[in-house]
Amino acid sequence: MIDAELKAFLEDAVGIHLGTRNAELEPNGARAVAAAVEDGGERLVVYLAAVAAERVLPDLEANGQAAVSFGRPVDERACQVKGVFEGARDAREDEKARVMAQWESFLDNLEQIGIGRLSYGAWVTWPCVAVRLKVSALFNQTPGPGTGGPLP
Amino acid sequence: MSATLESLATCFQGLLPAQLFTCSADGTPNAAYLSHVEYVDPHHVALSYQFFNKSKRNVSENPRALVLVPDPDTGQGWRLRLRFSHSETEGPLFERMALRIEAIASYCGLKGIFKLRAADVYEVLGVEPATEERAACTVAERRGALPDPVFTVRALQHLAERIHRADSLEGLVDSILCGLEESFGFRQSMILVPAEEPGVLVTIATRGYAEDGAGAEVRIGEGIAGVVAEARKPIRISGLMRGMLYALAMHRHSTGERPRPRIALPGLPSPESQLGVPLLVRGELAGVLCLESETPYRFHEEDKKSIELLGSYLAIAIQNMQLQERSQDALPEAAALAPVAAPGPVVPSAQPVATACATRHEVAYYEADECILVDGEYLVRSLPAKILWRLLTIHEKTGRAEFTNRELRLDKSLNLPEWKDNLESRLILLRRRLEQKCPEIRLVPVCRGRFALALACPVALSTRP
Repeated sequence: MIDAELKAFLEDAVGIHLGTRNAELEPNGARAVAAAVEDGGERLVVYLAAVAAERVLPDLEANGQAAVSFGRPVDERACQVKGVFEGARDAREDEKARVMAQWESFLDNLEQIGIGRLSYGAWVTWPCVAVRLKVSALFNQTPGPGTGGPLP
Repeated sequence: MSATLESLATCFQGLLPAQLFTCSADGTPNAAYLSHVEYVDPHHVALSYQFFNKSKRNVSENPRALVLVPDPDTGQGWRLRLRFSHSETEGPLFERMALRIEAIASYCGLKGIFKLRAADVYEVLGVEPATEERAACTVAERRGALPDPVFTVRALQHLAERIHRADSLEGLVDSILCGLEESFGFRQSMILVPAEEPGVLVTIATRGYAEDGAGAEVRIGEGIAGVVAEARKPIRISGLMRGMLYALAMHRHSTGERPRPRIALPGLPSPESQLGVPLLVRGELAGVLCLESETPYRFHEEDKKSIELLGSYLAIAIQNMQLQERSQDALPEAAALAPVAAPGPVVPSAQPVATACATRHEVAYYEADECILVDGEYLVRSLPAKILWRLLTIHEKTGRAEFTNRELRLDKSLNLPEWKDNLESRLILLRRRLEQKCPEIRLVPVCRGRFALALACPVALSTRP
């Protein structure tokens, strides 16, 4: 479902947000730190700071519906992955380097457009919870008239 | 920890991207980046709607929404729980949001393509901190770390004192720009005034740029200065780079093309913050003051009122100086000259005032375009060109090298309007263009209302159709 080119985009230098909703259809969401595409593009693992995960996990466990947005600041390329929750676990120490490298590349990207790191100095990025989703649909979100259309 | 909406005004500058979460009627969540969040009142915000998308469709089915927006001063993220109220396609709120988008679009050459369709107003049901986006510092610590002073009474006093010392329009505009740097720390600035050609602004003074930029023109409605002149309202843009990237991404996405290059005003290579202030006197546009900075969030929310007041004050100062210079020009020559230093002698010689350089410059006046080229390179056009041509031809025929503003005003060939001819600003522009492009030809002030044409080289004059 997620091809190699899109996988490369999703796993490098992008801002990531996970959206959920509760039983009353109230939207909920949190910033994520990193993501990894698995199982040949069929699954997506989203790494959320544990303090953020505790806010959205009840929604995911209750109804399973998830939307993950990805945006690259330097060119505003953006897309959204819809998915169904399959499970969550604490991120392992051996994943930390990869997760932090993705986060750092995102901050580098922000610096390229003049947004320094000072503002992000205290954002919580570890420990993380790894949220596993089965990918159900992909949508383009790059600004423009085609926004919201399905990705091939 | 909680916050009132008023206290989050700095979050709505668009510096750091905001995120919108919605949910469709069938329970599918949606997450999308937001172009712009606008503070409306203590209980409402507005989100920009620029093209139809899933978020728009969702709130029409299910009005609940969540916005996550970070504070650029502290880094603290805030969660705004919202309920869609209504869309506005006209009125002050819409105009305010549209103006910002229009200015960015125009700066990128995308005016009319990248535009606001509606301001979607949401009731704010709750504001709470985002636990993962913690503050790195307090607002006071962040502002205290900024190197430059901002609007203080003391800084305004310094600027006023400097302005009061100016004794000519040229001195005044230079004082304003110099004062804005020394008292406020705004290093890059420019002043544009309405040109003779309707719908055009022309730059008469700049500071902090590699190129002087005098004479650079912009159409009303184009670029930050042009949009400010058109709307007659200040525009303050933070995170300009982000806004431009958003606009350019949209354009590429819709057309696959790159936009046409923007108008070549003087400017920073990578401006992050821009501020345009209309200089208005009783609703009449005397000019536009533009400030820019490479700092993303240079012009703060609390500066807004001070900036508007400053614009009014500068406009009055400029108009007063124009009226003063004009009224003194209208006096009999002896009376006008009496309080100041005695004028230099009229130069009767047919020779140039000074000939320090043997290289002859070819000065060509293109009648149809009303412009002057020196050695094949564009110098100036419109009224400043006609003035220079008049001075050079008189000098060539009679050898006279001293001139008065008054005689220019009375010169039928220049066709100056009887009221508000802006002659002084055109002379400033002409003097600066000569300094930049042909320093061997100078207009040297002799005393108020009188100047000398100083030629440090031979010139050959020719007219072209």
